[in-house]
Amino acid sequence: MLNDLHLDRRQLLGRAGLAVAALAVPGVAIAGPALPDWALGVGDVAGDVPMQALTLLHGRAPEDLAGMLYRNGPARFRRGGTASGHWFDGDGMIRAWGLRDGKATLAARFVDTPKRRLEDKLGAMVQPGFGTASRAGSRVTSADDTNAANTAVIAAGGRLLALWEAGSAFAIDPDTLATRGPEVFRSDLAGMPFLAHPRIEPDGRIWNLGLSGKAAFVWRLSASGQLEAGQAIPLPMGSYIHDFTATARHLVIVLQPWVQDHMALPFVESLSWKPELGSKVLVVDKADLSKRRIYELPPFAFFHLGDAWEETDGTIRFDGCFEADPSFGRDAARALVDGRYIPVPSPRLTMVALRPDGRADMTAAGIEAEFPRSEPQLAGLPRSRTVHVGGYLPGRPFASKVGIWDWRTGKDDAHDFGPRQLVEEFVPLSSGKRPLLMGTTINLDTRRSELHLFDARRVAAGPLASWSADMALPVSFHGNWVGRGAV
Amino acid sequence: MKIIAATAAALFGLALAGSAPPAFAAEPVAAAATPSLTVRFAGIETPTGAVLLSLYASEAAFDAGGQPVASRMAPVKGDTAEAVFPGLAPGRYAVKAFHDIDGDGKMGTTPFGMPTEPYAFSNDAIGEAGPAKWAGASFDLGAADTVHTIKIR
Repeated sequence: MLNDLHLDRRQLLGRAGLAVAALAVPGVAIAGPALPDWALGVGDVAGDVPMQALTLLHGRAPEDLAGMLYRNGPARFRRGGTASGHWFDGDGMIRAWGLRDGKATLAARFVDTPKRRLEDKLGAMVQPGFGTASRAGSRVTSADDTNAANTAVIAAGGRLLALWEAGSAFAIDPDTLATRGPEVFRSDLAGMPFLAHPRIEPDGRIWNLGLSGKAAFVWRLSASGQLEAGQAIPLPMGSYIHDFTATARHLVIVLQPWVQDHMALPFVESLSWKPELGSKVLVVDKADLSKRRIYELPPFAFFHLGDAWEETDGTIRFDGCFEADPSFGRDAARALVDGRYIPVPSPRLTMVALRPDGRADMTAAGIEAEFPRSEPQLAGLPRSRTVHVGGYLPGRPFASKVGIWDWRTGKDDAHDFGPRQLVEEFVPLSSGKRPLLMGTTINLDTRRSELHLFDARRVAAGPLASWSADMALPVSFHGNWVGRGAV
Repeated sequence: MKIIAATAAALFGLALAGSAPPAFAAEPVAAAATPSLTVRFAGIETPTGAVLLSLYASEAAFDAGGQPVASRMAPVKGDTAEAVFPGLAPGRYAVKAFHDIDGDGKMGTTPFGMPTEPYAFSNDAIGEAGPAKWAGASFDLGAADTVHTIKIR
């Protein structure tokens, strides 16, 4: 049962060398007789997780590889008999998977948000969210009162930023994982929306969007995470936007026909699927945001895009994980919290080409894929490889494989973890010139989270090394590798 | 949430009359009570500027951006500010206020119209996905002089 997830307070406090103070709270069990085993992926963590040494399962890590894989994701969905109404609405928890001298560690800490404080005090989930209705005791005076800070984490300027999408980034101490508070980039921008998927140029400059209906606020931050410029631009339609992409010179904003066309709460109820509108792509010049082009594409739904690039003839290319309709985000991701699986169309890896003559077309890779990533040093530049997860199995949610798709060869170099693992996002990194992949899974047999390191040139050969924690943390969303000394 | 941003721009537009004199009709009538209302703001975190407030006497005006019966600028002193409305007719009233920290006479907002300066409503009422409504913010003013305290943050 999910109670297995709840940490034992004495065990936590008794462990030597606590890096993070234990904050154990009473456990909450999901009611119901027979939850599927994959519900471990949407379980509750009672409190912060002090640093622990991981157990090496097999293999060895390169001795010179040192750094931290910071990841973010919801880790508390239930309080006092009430539950979040959507997978996207649980409390954000920053996980720090560390590697140094061939040894691995894990520490994790909840982001200390106003939402979490209020709900802890009331012992109930009361704040509205993406797919959660508000309950008695709800208090909303700004978007940040509902901010779960649970979607992604980046490092910039000596701090981590825990990202959501409809409110502020939360600044986090990279060593203690303590929350410093919502980041105010400029006083008149306090509380402005800030997507969880900023696009970071190879030199560190950060581009991001904040959305409100048919307007986007374009954020431009320096490599140290200071505001350089900000400007609102109009959008051709009021699409739900979770992610955008960018080339070295252009922002590429993909507008799906899942549009906000009426007022309703929770937020997802205000979105309507209108495939007759088709999808659109707005391309904006980074140097002059008033210079724009719009391309038309067939309808698709999506959450995530890969990095974009530009070819010498002006063609812009990017890939994305496209779904036939938005039923995952609209329906299935709500049911997950209750341990219910609803079959939905799987995300398919698809290449988009925006041609200089104004035409646009799509090419399917022919594989299921989500969480597309590529090497940070190639962001906005030509590339052929896309790191992804996939292998969606009948009857259960979450991926079972990790792979690297090569658009040039049309081949997928993949490793199948099998049906007893829930596979989370993997990120590319390197040790010297050696390209690597790092990511996490939840082992349903041992009921523990695992860390895996791959040679990115031979993913099918299986992990170079794998480690196990002594507990399972629920499935997380997004993260980034931060080499030692790079924060 | 996006919905809040969409509605707040219109609804938080506190149309303060600035230096215009109170435009309400509360003619003192012989033998009738004309109580004064003192609105006191507590918990002010930044000791600069003034609290700008508007007093409303109807649901229609309060909820739909109509005219207030009076407006005041209450200089901040320490963590409090105070405004007095003398000679009111007994009845039902509600207050909208914001703390004009930078003294520009306007409620600071983000490019999406969300407030960046503290604001509050009478009864410390809190709105759902927007400003508080008359139903939560209105209170009765009887025949006696009254002090109504609002926490502003």
